Amino acid sequence: MSRKITLKSSDGELFEVDEAVALQSETMIEADNILTLPNVTSEILAKVIEYCKMHVESPEADDRAAADELNRWDLDFINLPDTTLLDLIRAAHHLKIKGLVDLACSKVADRIKGKTAEQIREYFNI
Amino acid sequence: MFSEKKKFIAETQQFEEEEEEGFNLKSSNPLHSYGVQPLGNLYFNPGSVNSRNTGLGNLQILSDELVLEILGLVDGTHLGVLATVSKSFYVFTSHEPLWRNLVLDNLKGRFLFNRSWKVTYISTFYPSFDVSWNTHFSGLRVRNFYSDYLFQSWLCANLEMKPEWLERDNIIRKRGISVDDFVMNFEEPNKPVLLEGCMDNWDAMRKWDRDYLVNLCEKIPTLGSDYEVPVYFREDLFSVLGNERPDYRWIISGPAGSGSSFHIDPNSTSAWNAVIKGSKKWVLFPPDVVPPGVHPSPDGAEVACPVSIIEWFMNFYGSTKNWKKRPIECICKAGEVIFVPNGWWHLVINLEESIAITQNYVSRRNLLNVLDFLKKPNASELVSGTRDRINLYEKFKNAIERRFPGTIDELTLKAEEKKMSFWDSVTDSKIGAFKFSF
Repeated sequence: MSRKITLKSSDGELFEVDEAVALQSETMIEADNILTLPNVTSEILAKVIEYCKMHVESPEADDRAAADELNRWDLDFINLPDTTLLDLIRAAHHLKIKGLVDLACSKVADRIKGKTAEQIREYFNI
Repeated sequence: MFSEKKKFIAETQQFEEEEEEGFNLKSSNPLHSYGVQPLGNLYFNPGSVNSRNTGLGNLQILSDELVLEILGLVDGTHLGVLATVSKSFYVFTSHEPLWRNLVLDNLKGRFLFNRSWKVTYISTFYPSFDVSWNTHFSGLRVRNFYSDYLFQSWLCANLEMKPEWLERDNIIRKRGISVDDFVMNFEEPNKPVLLEGCMDNWDAMRKWDRDYLVNLCEKIPTLGSDYEVPVYFREDLFSVLGNERPDYRWIISGPAGSGSSFHIDPNSTSAWNAVIKGSKKWVLFPPDVVPPGVHPSPDGAEVACPVSIIEWFMNFYGSTKNWKKRPIECICKAGEVIFVPNGWWHLVINLEESIAITQNYVSRRNLLNVLDFLKKPNASELVSGTRDRINLYEKFKNAIERRFPGTIDELTLKAEEKKMSFWDSVTDSKIGAFKFSF
């Protein structure tokens, strides 16, 4: 039976994940049975786990269809409110999940492109 | 306004004086171009607000590295727009590595470096834009911006080598020794040495400078005649492979501060490095001593030295003073050749603009080591410089057998004898000294 790892969010909620899911996060896989995350809310942690569950198996190198499908899922998944995105980047960085950091940063970059300076100030609440 | 400016300069000067023992800054860049200060300074200014944060808005929750990661995903035009959003964004978007990546990704070598990566990018893509010094392009200073990451990055780019990092020079220097001398005292025992007087009749010494080498492509056929391999290194066993031999010689040129962080040369070869112009600081550790701050992967395929050359000196050099196994160090000047024995860790930094030529080679002294290396199961990852990595072992071994039949067996026998006599002398209490020593 594979190992299970428990994650505890800042608001005290517990999440249990299989080892295969946790393997994508260097921080998770190095933890003992329970990993406390004082800077990650349950809302964000749920999103992180959702991403990891979907990425347990990478598609085969020559399976274009599967790769495209996963890409589409990613693009849909990352279409989140702005503040959620930033929290997600921070959490994914802390948990060392490179794919998710890259995905979320790309989304923020996309949202910046094409905006004027004034719009960017509004966007980031400066 | 004027008095505020004076106060800012006074504050920054005070900071500089306090840090005098810490930093030797390049005289061309006395203050951080944009006024970035390290985070510690924030604590000396009670009540001060970090404009880094107020200027980032919601983005402030991300670390500097993450902010820069996002900025690394937008192009030059967008960086330009972002620079006008706030003082904080202005500083972040001025981070040179962002512009360096844009230049290298978009221009792929078809550019002339112009003062900074940012100026290079802008003057290439917007040639009508005035980038001369006396416009506002010299950079705006911001106040109350504290960031360790950005400050550290700027500091490393502008630090000069401290005198105490250059003092130790404990390599053995020899002039005019015989080849046998060299082999017996240095190549066989695998010890570094600095050789003087080998390059006196090289045309390269008077011909090679940056201008001469700039248009290299036309000159390559003739460059070989501007130098000759020093007599000590003429045994070149990889030559049996002809055109299929791994890459083996390089002309290395760069400004002060450029160089190479700790590594071991490929394929277990030995090397020589001759300085034609300029000077290089070398730090060498024997094969069994991993330098501080360096983390090789267990299979040796990857070497991680997470810090830059100057950061290594700042953070790790001092600790080597107290080590029993001190490194060999020297400054190699124009006209001098250093022998880098196989397997030795080495770090090199140019102290001024330098041109050097270096070759890696295999002689009978390290032939067995090289064969062992090529034989390793992960040879395909470790072996470098040739397309046919996996078969290199077979090819090389067979070629050596054809050209120099019996050599491998002879060397293997000698090595066995040495090993046995070593153990003899260890177990025989009547013999005091070892028969050979490193």
